[in-house]
Amino acid sequence: MSQNKNELAMIKKDTVDVVAEKVKAFQENGDVHFPPSYSPQNAMKSAWLTLQGIQDKNKRPALEVCTRDSVANSLLDMVVQGLNPAKKQGYFIVYGNTLTFQRSYFGTMAVTKQVTGAKSIDAAVIYEGDEVDYEMKNSRIVNLTHKQKFGNINKENIIGAYATIVLQDGEVYQELMTIEELRKAWSKAQFWGKDQEKEKKGSTHDEFKQEMAKKSVINRACKKFLNSSNDSNLVLDHFNHTDEAAEEAQLEEEIQTNANGEIIDIEYNEPEQEQEPEQPSDQPDGDLEQAAMDFEQKEAQTTSGPNF
Amino acid sequence: MIEVKALASSSKGNCYHITDGKTPLLLEAGIKFKEIQRKLDFQTSKIKACLITHEHKDHCAGVPDMIKNGKNCYMSKGTAEAIGVEGHRVKPIKSKEPFTVGTWTILPFEVEHDVAEPLGFLLANEDGDKLLFATDTYYIRYKFKGLTHILCECNYSLDILNKNIAAGRIPKVMKKRLLRSHFSLENVKEFLKANDLQKVREIWLLHLSDNNSDERRFKDEIQALTGKAVYVP
Repeated sequence: MSQNKNELAMIKKDTVDVVAEKVKAFQENGDVHFPPSYSPQNAMKSAWLTLQGIQDKNKRPALEVCTRDSVANSLLDMVVQGLNPAKKQGYFIVYGNTLTFQRSYFGTMAVTKQVTGAKSIDAAVIYEGDEVDYEMKNSRIVNLTHKQKFGNINKENIIGAYATIVLQDGEVYQELMTIEELRKAWSKAQFWGKDQEKEKKGSTHDEFKQEMAKKSVINRACKKFLNSSNDSNLVLDHFNHTDEAAEEAQLEEEIQTNANGEIIDIEYNEPEQEQEPEQPSDQPDGDLEQAAMDFEQKEAQTTSGPNF
Repeated sequence: MIEVKALASSSKGNCYHITDGKTPLLLEAGIKFKEIQRKLDFQTSKIKACLITHEHKDHCAGVPDMIKNGKNCYMSKGTAEAIGVEGHRVKPIKSKEPFTVGTWTILPFEVEHDVAEPLGFLLANEDGDKLLFATDTYYIRYKFKGLTHILCECNYSLDILNKNIAAGRIPKVMKKRLLRSHFSLENVKEFLKANDLQKVREIWLLHLSDNNSDERRFKDEIQALTGKAVYVP
């Protein structure tokens, strides 16, 4: 037991101290400024406490399975963005032997407010029958008005959502997503089946559709706004790095788990048994939904090869 | 004895002619039929059939003409629908359901690419040769026994890709897609390490990216890893 404690203390010294040093250097160079209410030391302490309870999917402690580099990097990503896991601004998640810090949408909002000085970030859901009007100016949505009748509110009739970021000077940035775009975003989640088109009954995205819609559109608005309105800086680098690191770790784990597994084999068959497969009876039968999907796919995929 | 000839191998078009001396086949028809004819000195009448992995144009551009010229084209139902071809020359096949073409026994298997129903192929013949064809897949789910010929994609290397992104030559969003749609040098190596290569005579690295690959280096590294003859068409 005491040995475990010692080991933990060693890991802590190795990682937390290294990160703290780095952050200090950033601060001294003026690369990063924290709001007065944010203490990197406190955030790191609370992250370290959180980390001790984090496990991988086999219930092994994260601090045992994850590389020290990935632990240090995820802590650094968190601190540079001025986030704190105790405020639910992000989570630590283990993929294979990599620890990642993934911002929650509260975290994304916090970074956006801090970096851009935005006053408020809000989102609203659009239901069938709502009146929505807007203009496009310089490729941006302006003068968006939205009239809603109380009777329209029904989660089964959501047709879109929008988010509004209001800046110090009253300037407004808006982002709009249709239900199709929202579903496309949701479909990137791992639990979303390959050919699934809608939320599964009883899933979070089904039960809390309004909240999920707001969350997705806020996320998109903040990310686009941050990336378009600011010169590259340290916070932004780490803002984008957290997403990439998480995605790459996920991919790595997927490949580790699925690749080069089961052996499949065939033996040579005598040629005279050559079968001419019969004309299939299950040719496309004009199923409309399928056809619409195919059309979309065809549009997107057969126009040209992925020109890498 | 299998003979392989690459007629085209890039994101502009893929087409490979293979024969065991008895039944010539085409793997992919990603170039115009006329070009296929030209590259084979107009000796296309013997081609028994064509196997198609998926619906991207660089793998199927020649399919409609192949069909018109009376060649059977084997592909998944999803691929046929996405290309928009039908008729008795389109032979629908399913993952893990073996079929026979001439002297070849062929086992299709699912691969990992962002399209309708992509397949890879394992081909066996009476001489005991076994050829694996896998392209446009970011990893291979399976392992294989007694392979003699490996034809697999080796699209990019992560370090070259990262350098290109850092230099602004490749947009970041492309990386995201690439990682989940094409076979990297690093993952090809893991695949080769996981398989028994004792009987392997030739390894063909296919479909190298124009920007994110290095032909010489890929060849050298795979040769050093496997000690086999490596070809990069």
